[in-house]
Amino acid sequence: MVVSPQQQRMRSPDPAHSGDIQVAGAGTPIAQSSLWRDARRRYMRNKGAVVAGTIFIALVAFCIFVPIVSPYDPDQVNFADAYLPPSLAHPFGTDQFGRDLLTRVALGGRISIAIGFAATLAILVIGLTYGSISGFVGGWVDNAMMRFLDALYGLPYLPFAIITLAIVGTVNFWTMVIALSIASWFTSARIVRGQIITLKENDYVRAATAVGARWYRVLARHLVPNTLGVLIIAIFLELPGVILGEAFLSFIGLGINPPSASWGSMAQEGREVYRTHTNVILIPSIAIATLVLCANFIADGLRDALDPRTKET
Amino acid sequence: MVGFIIRRLLWTIPVLLLVILMTFLMMRHIQGNPFRHSERAVSPEIQANLDRKFNLDKPWYVQYALYVKGVATFDLGPSLVLRNQSVNDIVRAHFPISLQLGFLAMVFAVVLGIPLGVIAALRPNSAFDYAAMLFANLGFAVPSFLIATLLIYFFALKWGDIFGLPTSGWDTWQSKILPVIALGLGPMAYFARLVRGTMLETLQQDYVRTAKAKGLRWRRVLMVHVLKNSLTPAVTAAGPLLGFLITGSFIIEYIFAIPGIGKYYITAVSARDYSVVMGLTVLLAVIVVLANMVVDILYGVLDPRTREART
Repeated sequence: MVVSPQQQRMRSPDPAHSGDIQVAGAGTPIAQSSLWRDARRRYMRNKGAVVAGTIFIALVAFCIFVPIVSPYDPDQVNFADAYLPPSLAHPFGTDQFGRDLLTRVALGGRISIAIGFAATLAILVIGLTYGSISGFVGGWVDNAMMRFLDALYGLPYLPFAIITLAIVGTVNFWTMVIALSIASWFTSARIVRGQIITLKENDYVRAATAVGARWYRVLARHLVPNTLGVLIIAIFLELPGVILGEAFLSFIGLGINPPSASWGSMAQEGREVYRTHTNVILIPSIAIATLVLCANFIADGLRDALDPRTKET
Repeated sequence: MVGFIIRRLLWTIPVLLLVILMTFLMMRHIQGNPFRHSERAVSPEIQANLDRKFNLDKPWYVQYALYVKGVATFDLGPSLVLRNQSVNDIVRAHFPISLQLGFLAMVFAVVLGIPLGVIAALRPNSAFDYAAMLFANLGFAVPSFLIATLLIYFFALKWGDIFGLPTSGWDTWQSKILPVIALGLGPMAYFARLVRGTMLETLQQDYVRTAKAKGLRWRRVLMVHVLKNSLTPAVTAAGPLLGFLITGSFIIEYIFAIPGIGKYYITAVSARDYSVVMGLTVLLAVIVVLANMVVDILYGVLDPRTREART
């Protein structure tokens, strides 16, 4: 969504990676751990990604812990306290029902982030299944499946998400996840298929086939685990689009029902009073923007770390 | 070349059929026949007549074929809620506005985004580069409803005396400024990032070094070798970006109360006017498919290597 296929396709050798071939004593199990250690070292070198990762974790922790320690009941209506400006008692102020915005924004974040991750996982599972079948089987099946993807590529997901919500009738956590993932998995399927096709040509896969490994063993043991790096990157590539999509749907009134609220539906409530009480729309919107921005930087950092061949310039 | 264009045109036909089929099948699953939910019970004879009128008595594949025939002859059928209006009337009334909004936002994004990316790439790691990229990242992350609301807050209300811009509507040219900026900022950030990335890549190419080495003036190297090769990805990006503009215009039209197709779409969904929802979805999908086709053909012209791969 944020990174175009062109950027994905741009490949240049990573100067940092060449030359640090590690020599290990025979029999020491180094392969697995050194891959992740290398990845972590490369990630840590990217200052922007480290800062973004820290803020991201802090934001998630904020959403988890603030409602637990908060003295305010997030659903308690108290009109005497409506639209209080930010103060020591209410650092972000209160909304039209006198509810504490700090507590509400943390709870909204729980819903937004949970929907975001659930929909991203759904997108990746569909993409992984579709992409690995297409890439692994190859031939006319691959051709047909890719043509189908080409057909759907670029379709705006919002109308299809809206129709999906209309089909299922009610809006709740799971229907929202379905609506957001139903027309968003095309890119991840393409990424997985490309990865599988590249991997299939590797010597260890040929060797596995040559010594008589069954196709499902090759797929489950060699191909799918090696797409893991790409999939972890894809989580943070897809997350911003999904979070924004949920916010858009909630903003136009197709979100989760009150009194639960996601950041999008909180922003919608704030939209009605933005002239007098700007903080009500500003706070959830800034939360969305922070999360999306962090996810973008984390995706960049992870790409450098886990897939050094595709380096974004 | 001609063969490539013909193949690409022919390939669009099954794609369109597939996209219409998908929309059609999805719409069929929205709770049954709309007329059976009407408040007054209708007699079976009238029901049968209604079913016949709207072809609901036929099997689904016949309905699909009839619908495709309608789309092919630019007839999207009647509205279910507004009995005197056809979907065509609604499209005719609202679509030009959305089209204008999307087009102006695209122009805004291209005219500002591409130079921003080019200048940032020419001075990598300079203050301008950092500022431009920070701006580009923010432009993508900040939800458009916040951008729109802030624009209204500052330029229409707080400093309204200076700028005198209206908060909503689409009648005067003043009323178009804020929506176009609000919709165009995201794509503009996208173009800036994309062009900067490809430009940095192109500057490393051997042919650029060769051009410099043979003593070509820098300005000419830039215009002939670097820019031309850096802008092709921006052309490809324009296709998917159209989807982005459509998606974005839903929100922007909603906030600025612009009577475009996006705002009408939301109204139609809440009014359960399914023939309108379906007609508009098919229309949007067809536009995206056709735009992708135009982009592919353009790309084939600009970069002959892609012709075979992209049939």
